Amino acid sequence: MIQSTATALPSRAEDKRGLSLAQLIEMYRAMLVIRTLDERMMTLQRQGRVGFYGACTGQEGACIGSAFALRPTDWIFPALREGAAMLMRGFPLVPYVAQVFGNRGDLAKGRQMPSHQSARSVNQVSWSSCIGTQLPQAVGAAWAAKLKGDDTVVLAYMGDGATSSADFHVAMNFAGVSKAPLVFLCQNNHWSISVPSQRQTASESFAVKAKAYGFPGIKVDGNDVEAVYGAAAEAVERARARGGPTLIEAETYRIGAHSSSDDPTRYRDPREVEEWKARDPIERLRRKLLASNQWNERRDQELKEKILAEVNAAIDEAEKLAPPAPETLFEDLYAVEPWNIAEQRQELLAYIKKA
Amino acid sequence: MANYEFKLPDIGEGVVEGEIVKWLVKAGENVAEDQPLVEVMTDKATVTIPSPRRGVVLQTHGSEGDIAKVHQVLVTLDVGAGGPSAAASESKPALGGGNKSQPVSARRDAAETNGGSQGGKVLATPVTRRMAREHGLQIEQIVGSGPQGRVTKADVMAAIGQGAGAVATEKMVPSPIAPPRIGPPSPLTTSRADQRVPLKGLRRRVAEKMVRSKFTAPHYTFVEEMDATALSSSRSRLNESLAASGSAEKISYLPFICKALVAALKKFPTLNANFDEATQELIIRGAYNFGIAAATDEGLTVPVVKDVDRLSLRELADEIARLGTAAREKKLRVEELSGGTFTITSLGQKSGLMATPIINHPEVAILGVHRIRKRPVVVDDQVAIREMMNLSLSFDHRVIDGAIGAEFTYALIGFLEHPELLFLELR
Amino acid sequence: MPTLNLVQAVNDALRLEMRRDPRVVVLGEDVGKFGGVFRATAGLYEEFGPDRVIDTPLAEGGIIGAAVGMALYGLRPVPEIQFADFIFPAFDQLVNEVAKYRYRSGGQYACPMVVRTPYGGGIKGGHYHSQSPEALFIHTAGLKVVSPSNPYDAKGLLLASLRQQDPILFFEPKRIYRAAKGEVPEGDYEVELGKARVLREGNDVCLISWGAMVHEALAAADSAAEEGIGCEVIDLRTLWPLDIEQVIRSAKKTGRAAIVHEAPRTCGLGAEIAALIQERCFVHLEAPIKRITGWDTPFPYALENEYLPLAPRILKGIRETARFVA
Repeated sequence: MIQSTATALPSRAEDKRGLSLAQLIEMYRAMLVIRTLDERMMTLQRQGRVGFYGACTGQEGACIGSAFALRPTDWIFPALREGAAMLMRGFPLVPYVAQVFGNRGDLAKGRQMPSHQSARSVNQVSWSSCIGTQLPQAVGAAWAAKLKGDDTVVLAYMGDGATSSADFHVAMNFAGVSKAPLVFLCQNNHWSISVPSQRQTASESFAVKAKAYGFPGIKVDGNDVEAVYGAAAEAVERARARGGPTLIEAETYRIGAHSSSDDPTRYRDPREVEEWKARDPIERLRRKLLASNQWNERRDQELKEKILAEVNAAIDEAEKLAPPAPETLFEDLYAVEPWNIAEQRQELLAYIKKA
Repeated sequence: MANYEFKLPDIGEGVVEGEIVKWLVKAGENVAEDQPLVEVMTDKATVTIPSPRRGVVLQTHGSEGDIAKVHQVLVTLDVGAGGPSAAASESKPALGGGNKSQPVSARRDAAETNGGSQGGKVLATPVTRRMAREHGLQIEQIVGSGPQGRVTKADVMAAIGQGAGAVATEKMVPSPIAPPRIGPPSPLTTSRADQRVPLKGLRRRVAEKMVRSKFTAPHYTFVEEMDATALSSSRSRLNESLAASGSAEKISYLPFICKALVAALKKFPTLNANFDEATQELIIRGAYNFGIAAATDEGLTVPVVKDVDRLSLRELADEIARLGTAAREKKLRVEELSGGTFTITSLGQKSGLMATPIINHPEVAILGVHRIRKRPVVVDDQVAIREMMNLSLSFDHRVIDGAIGAEFTYALIGFLEHPELLFLELR
Repeated sequence: MPTLNLVQAVNDALRLEMRRDPRVVVLGEDVGKFGGVFRATAGLYEEFGPDRVIDTPLAEGGIIGAAVGMALYGLRPVPEIQFADFIFPAFDQLVNEVAKYRYRSGGQYACPMVVRTPYGGGIKGGHYHSQSPEALFIHTAGLKVVSPSNPYDAKGLLLASLRQQDPILFFEPKRIYRAAKGEVPEGDYEVELGKARVLREGNDVCLISWGAMVHEALAAADSAAEEGIGCEVIDLRTLWPLDIEQVIRSAKKTGRAAIVHEAPRTCGLGAEIAALIQERCFVHLEAPIKRITGWDTPFPYALENEYLPLAPRILKGIRETARFVA
């Protein structure tokens, strides 16, 4: 169900790029991990055990399918809902969950809100909550890779709302001009919090915008993980071959709220949600696997139970960790601590000691 | 537009001029009625002169440090065409009687009212407060000589007792009159360099008075010792009975000396006098108003105890104490600094054997009182221990012959050695 | 030793460091073949080619955003913002991204870069070619801010900045790009960041300034000396983290301080310096700390000499500060 935009790209609808069953299961597992984790974390959020959460629910296909096309050396510039890519690329669950708790198990020392993970070990950089800012950065990183002669490709995620930002234009333009090796992946989940995607653009699609910047844009069914993978793999391949950037619009749907702070029943029709639930990317892949001889309900159930156990174990372990030490508040600001930071650190520690 | 010339008023008895210490307004500034315009130091006191009119300052006449004569124009105001304060009579630009005796301390109050929100706090820079604190002084106890009554470093130095000379060792004495010239940085030379400290304010007044006295009145000084044993025991008995009556009051020697002086001066009235240089006349004064020289932070001040002859010992003691405090706090009123007929300088603990007091011009005599000490003396051919005191008296030789001065001194000593004789003088 | 002007010294530093460190890339508007509108990158394109001297599309947010990615990836980008007035499209990138990157990633990533930008008035540049926005970046934790006042410092500070691990805003006083001339050593040397320079010693009033206004402060100090007021003139050089020890040393020594800057007064760096001095030297103070600054208005075109805190206005401030009765 890939719709080609006005680019010269041929439709890749049937091109599954030769994914093996094992690879499909690997993606299926990655999608289940984030689905399970999201459900558990939303529950924890409602219990007051974590402060905030942004779920990927419904969009797992777009995230996992695209990230699956990368090599470990490739870089990801994520937006809010791409933590799952880190996990799939080998980042452990416990520090991931510790980030949500914001405790000392978090690599970023509890400094950012939940759902703002990053890990150098899997080449996933840090996201700031500021919509679109990661896009020109992704161009810069890809440009740098090109200047250094590396074959690294950069995958930059955004939502449909981000295409309205100045940084989107800037990034698309810089990317087109520099022919940097990167892939923009726009998760068009139809809602920027409460604003529907047709209020973000009058274009016939988001993908079509690429044309004006001089590189291909394709629209793909974001809930078809294989299709997403196919489109991403081709774009990544082209980028690696110095063919320049691509914009992929993965059309998907945000089944849940924007975040734990949001109530989507106030602005959207529940029937629309039900329609999209019927196109759930995980269920679609599950049906495909079950249709093969090598997957069955028992294995499916076992996998789900195993993942739930892993997630619960990770939550148990991460939740036990202590909050970040107070002095970490002042770390990592400068390479060498300047006098004002040293003074303020001492002031806080002395205050805590007295209190 | 109406211009109003505000002239330096006659702010005290005999004052003919004043030094402009500090302008509190400048040209172009709006002034309210009663807003302080300028601080002027006369040879009596420093006073803040408030504006009699509301208006805009067109011009201030004279720079800080200049001498302004009484009735000289100080400030030209644009008072507009009959503003609300036009009621203030132009025919009486000078301050009225009430203002004439405006306490020096009013400077601070006025400035604070002017400033609006000082909340009664002492004005001083942080460095000045630190200096006071380091010397164990309470800044509230120091009266400020700076703008708006600000306590300055110089004030603190004076309060510490180091006086103007010590101020000069400070790195910088910023002055609205003449900022010191400080050359290029050179730590070695600064510490050895000569300092030029201009005489200002009270110090300048003291200097001028001393010069005038010393160079117009040919002084001679007469020194004699006296036996104060009887005086001492009389005083002790009086203080004991005061204490027995529950009074915390203690009477010092000064009231006794004052009373003895009145008695002696009645015998030698030409010493209770002023000499009028202009007419070359000796004015023998009817009143007995004694100046009591007091060292203050800023220099020598001589408050005057009025009508000494009419005050009881206790009243005298109270009045001397009150004036001493007022002098230290710079709260003396102009009339408390004038009208003296004779001056006593009590030389204190470090009074030495003798001194050569300088007459408080235009008076003609001054008494220096030294410390009472037990000394071996010959009494009836026996060496006895007596409480002895030396007196140093200076006289204006133009009008007081040596013999008169000596006789006066012995008359005084007679009363002091035999205080019961004072009963004979009681009326 | 050759005599260079300030912009030549900047160019010299860039060339030296690009030869020494292949990670260094220059990017910005007109920095390539043209060599920059102020000629700061002249000749670099010819020597290092288009991959390292990059003419970018005209978007400051893109220049800094791309520089972030380059820095993350291991290059040493030196983005040029053609005029500091044009830095605001990149403000989000600088404040929310560059400044916080190391911190928000727990030290996993960092964005070392030197953002060069000509700043300040005095060239008849009106609102948008004259501003001094340094305080906005000092207010942002995670950035360092540097501004040279002379060719020697410009080269030494820029070389030192290019070797820092932190993002640096390098504000170049364009008014004296060519007017400030001086001997500049050939070859490599650094001027240590965080160290102010005492250009003139004095005991009465301490003047703290940076960039083009340092020269005005010095001229005013000369006049003040003729009046018997000895000024200590401090060129901060590194605006943040500033040389707190030197500032405090001089403030204690003189008991009287004035800060001179072109930027508007309110919430300018002068306000912070005044606060630091009163926090640390309160009991030494003999006078209110003076700010001699641009006015709280946009930078004007016709009245720029009235706007700038030039020597005569500084002299007036010195007098007022020196004569305050302590």
